[in-house]
Amino acid sequence: MQQVTSETFDQNARAAMQDPVLHSALRHLAENFGERRKNAIESVDDWEGLRDRARATKDEVLLHLDTYLYQFAANAADAGAVVHWARDAPEACAIVLNLIKDRGATNVVKSKSMVTEEIHLNKALEAEGIEPVETDLGEWIIQLAGETPSHIVVPAIHKTKTQIAELFIEKVGIERTDDVDVLTGSARRILRERFARAQVGISGVNFGIAETGTILILENEGNVRLTTSLPKTHIAVMGIEKILPRIADLDVFLKLLPRSGTGQNLTAYQSLITGVKRDANDEGPDEVHIVLLDNGRSRMLAHPVTRQSLACIRCGACLNACPVYQQVGGHAYGSVYPGPIGAVIMPQLIGYSKARQLPFASSLCGACREVCPVKIDIPELLLHLRAEITDGSPTTEKRFRKLGESLAFRLYGFLWSDARKYRLGMKAGRLFQKLIIRNGKIKKQGNVISRLMPPLANWTARRDASPLAPKSFREHWHDELRTK
Amino acid sequence: MQEANARESILASIRQNLAAGRAFDDVHKEAKINDESTRSTSLSRDELINNFKRNLDSVGGHCHIVSEMSEAAEAVFKIIGSLSATNIAISDSSIVAAITNGLSINVVVNADPEYLFASDVGVTSAQYAIAETGTIVLESDTERHRLTSLVPPVHICILQAGNIRQTLGEILEIVQSDLSRTVTFITGASRTSDIELTLAIGVHGPRELHVVVIDDHRP
Repeated sequence: MQQVTSETFDQNARAAMQDPVLHSALRHLAENFGERRKNAIESVDDWEGLRDRARATKDEVLLHLDTYLYQFAANAADAGAVVHWARDAPEACAIVLNLIKDRGATNVVKSKSMVTEEIHLNKALEAEGIEPVETDLGEWIIQLAGETPSHIVVPAIHKTKTQIAELFIEKVGIERTDDVDVLTGSARRILRERFARAQVGISGVNFGIAETGTILILENEGNVRLTTSLPKTHIAVMGIEKILPRIADLDVFLKLLPRSGTGQNLTAYQSLITGVKRDANDEGPDEVHIVLLDNGRSRMLAHPVTRQSLACIRCGACLNACPVYQQVGGHAYGSVYPGPIGAVIMPQLIGYSKARQLPFASSLCGACREVCPVKIDIPELLLHLRAEITDGSPTTEKRFRKLGESLAFRLYGFLWSDARKYRLGMKAGRLFQKLIIRNGKIKKQGNVISRLMPPLANWTARRDASPLAPKSFREHWHDELRTK
Repeated sequence: MQEANARESILASIRQNLAAGRAFDDVHKEAKINDESTRSTSLSRDELINNFKRNLDSVGGHCHIVSEMSEAAEAVFKIIGSLSATNIAISDSSIVAAITNGLSINVVVNADPEYLFASDVGVTSAQYAIAETGTIVLESDTERHRLTSLVPPVHICILQAGNIRQTLGEILEIVQSDLSRTVTFITGASRTSDIELTLAIGVHGPRELHVVVIDDHRP
């Protein structure tokens, strides 16, 4: 498959907009999840109050992240989990790989985890001859297709059931069908064989509880429970921002996350896992490992605006609400995390140079901020990152453009700050625009503006611009309307 | 050794960046968590049972309300019969044993995964339930039911009506006071919407969930 990257967002987006199949899937997603979310929210008394409490809890954790993280690690270790620390993706992958190799394991099952996508764990394991099997239905579909997730909650949203059936026929040899229940049933049958002989299970983590060292994972399918219960070894990979202080805090977060993500009051299963089993005869794995991953997160603490990024609980509501995501889908972002939240965390995770277009892929309409269960001000973050990206490492061309911009805005300020100057400016404008008006429009094709002023061509290349009216409303009013 | 270094450098990086961030806070305020205590409810036993049943029904679960053990056994027998199930796995709960002992069926207690993969029904009990969401709560320190409630295609769960609470908050408080190594919340059957957002039931876990509520206060 073709590799799309964040660096070419413009081209990716344009290509995606030509894809009618993708469009109908995205429309379906926005309507379906939008409606479900709305209904689910109505079942809660004080949604706004919950959002405020959630954000305050996250802020409290982030402002003392070192303390809470230390407490979490100590309590998890007390309960028998082995806690590992990874500064970046290669360190995290190496830890997981060594755990698997040391146990001589070859059969590895995985449940859906965005953080393992972020560190490209599968690629790292495959390079060493270990083929981890994704067991979440959506993740398994895209693993069979050799693709990446296009949504953080429903990874295969870009595929139709017909495409999925074709894929299953080709890769796992099922009979032709377009019945979703039959497709799901085949996945159950095939993946159960994998579960039955799995030696290691890898999962993500939704919340880590500092006061008890507990990890909590939410799901609907049951594959997380199988992954964390059947194999002898369970490895959980967790971003350092996932901490909550207390079990009691789950009251708020378990109300917010499922309602925002899938419009459910609660997902089918929550597993709260604290360390390792007490007795060898008990059920569950013999070993539980927790890999704590930084990978650029601690850097985001250095400014209150960027710090908000770490409050994200990965519900996906901002993707479903975003008019840009609804048009281009997840793959166009060329990044692990797409949509509004992706546009703000990717540049911080992989560097401005590799994702510089993403913060600009937004109309700043604020739909994301409105639906965010932890009230992250994504537009504020987008503007912050745009400024950082534009100001960072100025080139000669940029300096020149900046000078031009500042002159243009000074002229604008000069003309608009005084009624007489403004009227004079308008008159001058009407006079000079005659040079470039064709048939009453400033035409997008071959106009003078685009030839004279290259920066403005970005606007006029695809649009006709309206010329100034021969007479302003004020003049009309003064000359004719007032006396009527 | 390297991992110890990683821990120290991550914690150091967190402290450094937090310190740098403080310069940008106009007024550095400690975030305050609104510590509003969980609303405890004073619903009657009947209201709790009805709420639980309604919410379990709404996610496609089946709720059977009975008034004594013998009726519970009958209900379990009926479900097993309607499925023509032959391989029955049960957990090591005494209440489940008491119920299945009276039935003329063969059961395997705490079966190994191999048997579970081939079994038709798993019977366990639940330690608690949440009425507002129709959720059953399984604590691993009390009963070995982690796999029996998960692997067979049908899960039958025995619940004492007195263990139902209205809210998630009340249950979290109870669960936390003596935290089991694994606590599992179950709301309805296993489900997915991963193909065209079409709901499909029973993808990895049970496709049917039956909860038999024993309410010995019933007339």
